[in-house]
Amino acid sequence: MSASACAPGPAVKRVRPLSLASKQAMFAYAIIFPTLAILLVFRFLPMLQAFYLSLTQYDLVHPPKFIGFANFVDLVQDPLFLKSARVSLTYVLFSVVPVLPLSLGLAVLFNRSLWLKNLLRSAIFMPVVMPAVVMAVVWTFMYQQDGVINTILGWLGIDPIAWLRSSASALWAVILIGIWRATPYYMIIFLAGLQAIPADYYDAAKMDGAGRWASFWNITLPLLKPTTLLVVVMNVIVAMKVFAVPLIMTGGGPGDATRVLPLFIYQTAFEFFDMGRAAAMSVFLFVGVMLFSFIQVRLFTRGEELR
Amino acid sequence: MKSWTIKRTVSSVATAAVLTLMSGGVGIAADAPAGFPTGNVTIEIWWHEYGPFTAYVKELIEAYKKVRPNVTVNPVIMSSGDIQQKVAVGFATGTGPHILDQDASFYELYYNKGLLEPLNLNVFGVKSYDELLAKYTPGGIAAGTFGGKVYALPYQGNSMSLFISNKAFKEAGLDPVKNAPKTWEDMKALGPKLKKVQGNRTVQKAFDYPYHSPRWEMQMFQPLVEQFGGKLLSDDGKSASVNSPEAVKALTMWRDVTKLTGDPKTTKNTSSNPNQDFIDGLTAMWTTGPWATSQISQSAIKDDFTVVPWPQVDPAKPHTIVYGWAWGVNKAKPDAEKVAAWDFVHFMLAKPDEWLAKAAFVQPVKGVNETAVAKKFPFFDVHMKDVAVASWYLRSEYSAEIGQSVGRAIERVIYDGADPKASLDQAQGEVEKVFKK
Repeated sequence: MSASACAPGPAVKRVRPLSLASKQAMFAYAIIFPTLAILLVFRFLPMLQAFYLSLTQYDLVHPPKFIGFANFVDLVQDPLFLKSARVSLTYVLFSVVPVLPLSLGLAVLFNRSLWLKNLLRSAIFMPVVMPAVVMAVVWTFMYQQDGVINTILGWLGIDPIAWLRSSASALWAVILIGIWRATPYYMIIFLAGLQAIPADYYDAAKMDGAGRWASFWNITLPLLKPTTLLVVVMNVIVAMKVFAVPLIMTGGGPGDATRVLPLFIYQTAFEFFDMGRAAAMSVFLFVGVMLFSFIQVRLFTRGEELR
Repeated sequence: MKSWTIKRTVSSVATAAVLTLMSGGVGIAADAPAGFPTGNVTIEIWWHEYGPFTAYVKELIEAYKKVRPNVTVNPVIMSSGDIQQKVAVGFATGTGPHILDQDASFYELYYNKGLLEPLNLNVFGVKSYDELLAKYTPGGIAAGTFGGKVYALPYQGNSMSLFISNKAFKEAGLDPVKNAPKTWEDMKALGPKLKKVQGNRTVQKAFDYPYHSPRWEMQMFQPLVEQFGGKLLSDDGKSASVNSPEAVKALTMWRDVTKLTGDPKTTKNTSSNPNQDFIDGLTAMWTTGPWATSQISQSAIKDDFTVVPWPQVDPAKPHTIVYGWAWGVNKAKPDAEKVAAWDFVHFMLAKPDEWLAKAAFVQPVKGVNETAVAKKFPFFDVHMKDVAVASWYLRSEYSAEIGQSVGRAIERVIYDGADPKASLDQAQGEVEKVFKK
C-alpha cells in the first residue's frame, strides 16, 4: 500500500440519507400540494375575503367601507333574516332526519340478494345524477293542480293540494324533494359501509343464536357509526346550502315560506346589491354549519373517548 | 313617486312625421360619428332571452356588420331571471358588457352608482337631449332620463291591458266586447259567471292577478294604488309609502276581486311562462302586454281573443302602468368603444316598425302607431289607449327591495288570509329600513 493512499484526504461531509418515513412524507406533501394550493386560492382566500366583506358596506361597485360588526348587529335584529334562518333550520331538520332511516333501510335491502338488484339500484340512484334545475322543473310540473301527484291523490279520493302555492305546504313540498334526492346518495354510502362489515361477525352471532334484528342492532349499527357520522354531517351541510330548488320552484314564496338562507343571501347580494350584509349572512351560515358539524362529531365520538 | 304620466295622443301624430322618422329621423347615418373607432374593435352586448327578440337582435348584428365592418358585436344571451345578477357581477368585476339590456326600472340604480355612459348626442344626430326627447312619446324615455341626460333607451314600453278569451265569454253567454269589465266592480260581477269549479277543483278562473313573481305583483299593485289616488314613492324618490290608505284600499280590493274571480292556488304561470293560465284556458281574463300577442296567437287560442283597456276604479280617471326594457352603455369601457356601442344601439332602434313586426315590442317613439305594421297589429289601439294613461313602473334605487316587500305583503293576504293593513304595515317597516341604508 502506498503512502499516498494511506494519507488522510480532505474531510467529506457525509449526507445522511433520508429515512423511508421522511421520503414517504415528502412524497405525500408533493402529492397533496396542488390540491392544497387550489383549495387555498379558490376556497380559503375567498372565505377570508367574505369574512372581511362582512365587516363592510359594499355595493359591488364602490370600494367596501369598513363598518365593523354593524352588519351582524343589524342581522340579529332583522325579522326577515331570522325568519329565513328558521326556514333553513326547518328544512335541515325535516330533510335530514328521514333520510337516515330511509337510506339505511334501502342500503340493507340492496345489500341482500335481490331480483334485478342492479337495475333497481341504478333506478333509485337516478335522482342523484339529475341536475337540480331539471329536477326542480320536473317537480314543479308534478306538483301542479293537474300534475301527477294530485292525480294520484284524486284516485284515492283526496282533494288536490296546492303544493307550491300555499304557505302551509310549500316548504314541505321542497323538503320532500330534498329527501327524494338525498336518500339514494346516502344509500350508496351506507351500502359501502355495510359491505365493509366482515361476514364472520354475522356468522358468529348466528351461531350464538342472534336473530336478524339482534344482529342489526348489535353488529350493523355500531359498526356503521363512522358511516352514519359521515352521512349526517354531509347531509346537514348539503341541506344548509339548498338553493336551486327553492329558487326555481318558489322563488322563496309564497310570502317568504321557502326563503332559505342561501336564497336570501343570493337576493341580498345580487338583487339588492348589499354584498356586505350578504357576506355577514354567509358568515352566520358558515358558523352554523361548523357548529352543527362539531356537535355531531362530538356526539358520535363521545362513547369512544370514554372507552 | 317619480312617475311620468304618459299623456300620449296617438291620433295627433302626422303621417309625414312618421315617414321622416322611419326614413332617417332616428335612422343610422352612413358616415361614422366623431370618435368612432377607426381600427377593428369588438363590443359585447348582453340581452335577456325571448325567442322572437333574440332572433331579431341577431339579425340586426348581421346587418350592422355590413354598415360598420370594423366592429364585431359579440352577443351574450341569458335568462331574464339571471341578467340583473350577471350585469351586477359584470360591473363589479370589470367584465360587464359594452351594451346592457335591462328592465327600465333598474337604470336608476345603475345611474346612482355612476355606471352608465350618457347617450352620445352626436351618434344620434341631435344637438340636445330635448331634440331626442321630442322624437319620443311624452314620458316615453323617462325611465332612462336622469339629471336632464338620457342614459338608456327603451326598445319596448309595454302597456298592461286585459286579454279576454272569446271562447270562455261565449260559453257563459257573454259578449267579449260589450260585457268586458270596465271597472273592478264589473270584474267582481263577472266572477260567478265565468269561474268554474268542479268539486274542490277550479277548472276555469274568471280572472286572476299574477303571483309568479314580485315584479308582476308590483306591476298590478302600483296602478291599483294610483287608481285610488295614491302613489308608492315620494316625488323626490327618497321615501316610500306602501301602506298609505290608498294602498290598503288597493290590496283590499285585490283580495276581494280574487275571492270572486280567481284561485291563486291554481296556476301554472311561471316567470318564464307568465301567460300560461290564459293560454291553457285556465283563466277567462288575464292582464298582459302586447308582446304576448304572438305567443297567444300561436297557442290553441289562436286569434279567438279580445283585448280591452285595463279595468279601473273610476273610468273617468283611468290609470295603468307601462314598463319596459332598455339598452344602456357601460361607462367603464374605452371612449371609442362607447361610441361604437351607442352607434349600435342607434342602429338597432332605427326601425320601430320592425321591432313591432318581429318581436311585438312597442317602442315609445312618436309615429309608430301610424305604421302599416301597427295598423295590422291586433288591438294596437287598445294597447296605446292604456299606455296613454300609464305611469312607468316605479323607479327607485330600491325598486327590487320594494317589489319584494310588497309582493310578500300581497301573498300574506292572499295565501295566508292576513289583514291587508297589517300586512302592508309590515312591508312599510321593511321598506323604511331599506331607505335608511
